[in-house]
Amino acid sequence: MTINVNSLPQVELFGQGNVGCKGCGAAIAGRQAMKVLGERTIITIPASCMATLGGSNTRSAWRVPFYHTLFECAPAVSSGIRAALEIQGIKDVNVVSWGGDAGSADIGFQSLTGAAERQENIIHVLYDNEMYMNTGGQTGSQTPIYAITSNGSLGKKVRKKNMLAIMEAHGIDYVASANIAYPEDLMAKFQKAAAKKGFSYIHILAPCHRGWGIKPEETIEVARKATECGLWELFEVDEGKRTRTYEPKLIPVADYFKAQGRFKNLTDEQIAEFQKFVDDYYGKGE
Amino acid sequence: MALKQLPIVPSGDPGGLAESANAGVQRINRPVISDATKIDPIVILFCPDGAISLDESGFVISYKFCKGCGICAKESEGIVMVPEYTGPKGIF
Amino acid sequence: MNKVLITGSEAAALGAKLAKIEVLSYYPITPAFPAMERLSKYIDDGELNCKFIRAESDHSALAAVLGGSLAGARSYTVTNSQGLLLMTEVVYHVAGLRQPIVMGVANRALSAPHSRFPEHGDVVSQSASGWIQLFCENNQDILDNTIQAFRIAEELRVPVMVNYEGYLQSHTLEEVFVPEQSKVDAFLPLKRQPALDINNPRGVNTVTSPDFYPYYKFNQNEAMLESLNLIPKVAAEYNQEFGANSCGLIECYQMEDAEHAIVAMGSIVGTARILVDNLRKEGRKIGLIKVKVWRPFPVKAILEALQNVSFVTVLDKNIVFGVGGALATDLKAAAYGRGEMVINGAILGLGGGKCGVEEINAAVMETESAGSDKNKSVWIGL
Repeated sequence: MTINVNSLPQVELFGQGNVGCKGCGAAIAGRQAMKVLGERTIITIPASCMATLGGSNTRSAWRVPFYHTLFECAPAVSSGIRAALEIQGIKDVNVVSWGGDAGSADIGFQSLTGAAERQENIIHVLYDNEMYMNTGGQTGSQTPIYAITSNGSLGKKVRKKNMLAIMEAHGIDYVASANIAYPEDLMAKFQKAAAKKGFSYIHILAPCHRGWGIKPEETIEVARKATECGLWELFEVDEGKRTRTYEPKLIPVADYFKAQGRFKNLTDEQIAEFQKFVDDYYGKGE
Repeated sequence: MALKQLPIVPSGDPGGLAESANAGVQRINRPVISDATKIDPIVILFCPDGAISLDESGFVISYKFCKGCGICAKESEGIVMVPEYTGPKGIF
Repeated sequence: MNKVLITGSEAAALGAKLAKIEVLSYYPITPAFPAMERLSKYIDDGELNCKFIRAESDHSALAAVLGGSLAGARSYTVTNSQGLLLMTEVVYHVAGLRQPIVMGVANRALSAPHSRFPEHGDVVSQSASGWIQLFCENNQDILDNTIQAFRIAEELRVPVMVNYEGYLQSHTLEEVFVPEQSKVDAFLPLKRQPALDINNPRGVNTVTSPDFYPYYKFNQNEAMLESLNLIPKVAAEYNQEFGANSCGLIECYQMEDAEHAIVAMGSIVGTARILVDNLRKEGRKIGLIKVKVWRPFPVKAILEALQNVSFVTVLDKNIVFGVGGALATDLKAAAYGRGEMVINGAILGLGGGKCGVEEINAAVMETESAGSDKNKSVWIGL
């Protein structure tokens, strides 16, 4: 499936008037996804920037049904929505739960694993800015090792939890990583997920310039570097079949780390560790 | 007690934020099209705010939605960022 | 009308089945699980056309039911004690979203220490949640209140808990009259009011500023208070349609000339009736008020019933630490300024503790001898 930018629907189902920061990576992810998901979509978003930037008092930034859920339970709520649609005979609706890294991998993990195990006919999105940005940028399980956060001035001591591997282990219909710097790849993955009868999981790298210590205009550029250096691999596991969907240029990982304030304490040795890991992974090691 | 006309379920009108958007208050620099022929249409999908679109007349930037993040100018040729305020600078 | 011998759990499940619930979710817990199993069996056997979501926790169970309700389906769940406490965040949220969800609660004592026996402590913890709370004296009440709960919830858009006690009711067989399905269908017409409507999109639970939030809360409270008018009407209509004997907000027993009143809710009411009969034979002018609706608290109805009463013994199967029984506390607040009437509370039956005729009698005697120290509750059976 290839996506042609010029033939995408003009209608903006989400994005215009959202109250996010300028250069918001989460909002970019939402816009790209909605171009494919379309107006027959119901979206639930647990506590997160994405939930708060989408609605204010009696106004919503969404043109589809949107529900700002409690923190722990968006996939459970979406399961109930799907059930209600089925009992009413309402078909051809994408039911999406869209959590941040906290609402998916940490406080929201229980309901996510529950819904995935049940093979609910929903798409769950983890939009990943690698820290708890809605509360100011604290460390979470998706924060990478060594990254400085608002409550971790010395940098994280342990690795990022591999959510893609965890979700793949559920044996669900579709698992994919994505990156807002690669919209065609991201949108093709949403197209595939929407066509599945069971559970799909899409994990989107969506930088937050405030948390990452970059300039707003660098949001896409730094996201792209994450993939091009090999650290954020773009792949999918489509009914068990794993495919890399983009071959990175494998630029030095230092280019990615040195662009960001959150990694300012990284030593050359630590960067070399990462480089070795990436080289080994892509078969370029000794 | 004069009560507001509120929906029973706490909720907002679809697209309501778009109708009343005033993203410009965030803007320090604004994107300006310098050469439309050089614009990469992919920037439509890089905009967090749906502020740049392509219609029959070509690329259009909406300053109602644009917060001035500068991603479009960074990612594509043909768009440049210019300061919103060009007057004298002084001590506040 | 058909008469069957069933447990309280079966009465709850049957009520939900007669209400033709469409979305069900639960997470197994003792002693609510037999109601859950019975509902799942109805679905498996094709007797109930309902989607079941096998939640991985109580929190998710109510969240799933909430999703069902938001998307327009009649939705139901059952839980108790720790399950209810894990749900608490969603419990408050459901009420704020004005979703007409009905929940059976097989009341059980809270940990710690661990107990699996009946008590009202679990739902007392939810007293400020914005759910209407109905209490059941017997299995007939469980069935009747469950059906009425959907009507009340959907008309006012306020969620309703139907409380029945673990084991004492959930696992005890009683004769129950079962209404005909066709009549229940007429009594409970399905009006879908989806907040998440694919054809009429809205943004639900947007970030709300102080300019709006208090108004939503005011409206929520108004709807809650309105239930005090609606519930007796619904009960009266139910009684007329089904030849039932369901009370409105409260039921008065032997209260016409009573000077001393026992006020209670739940299964203990049935036992207290026996004590009232016994004491009446001894010439005591004693009566009983059964509180069916605890939230909202039916102040007017209870005060009217207590008009000529000088002494009240309140039976509480719960304890609000440092305060006393919840029902006694509510009643004292309601009767503020009512002159000479003494209201004393008795705490009994905690964690499944005995609360038979003997214990209720002790409660009457000991509250009388406690005098008018309103800060004191007597503990029975220690």
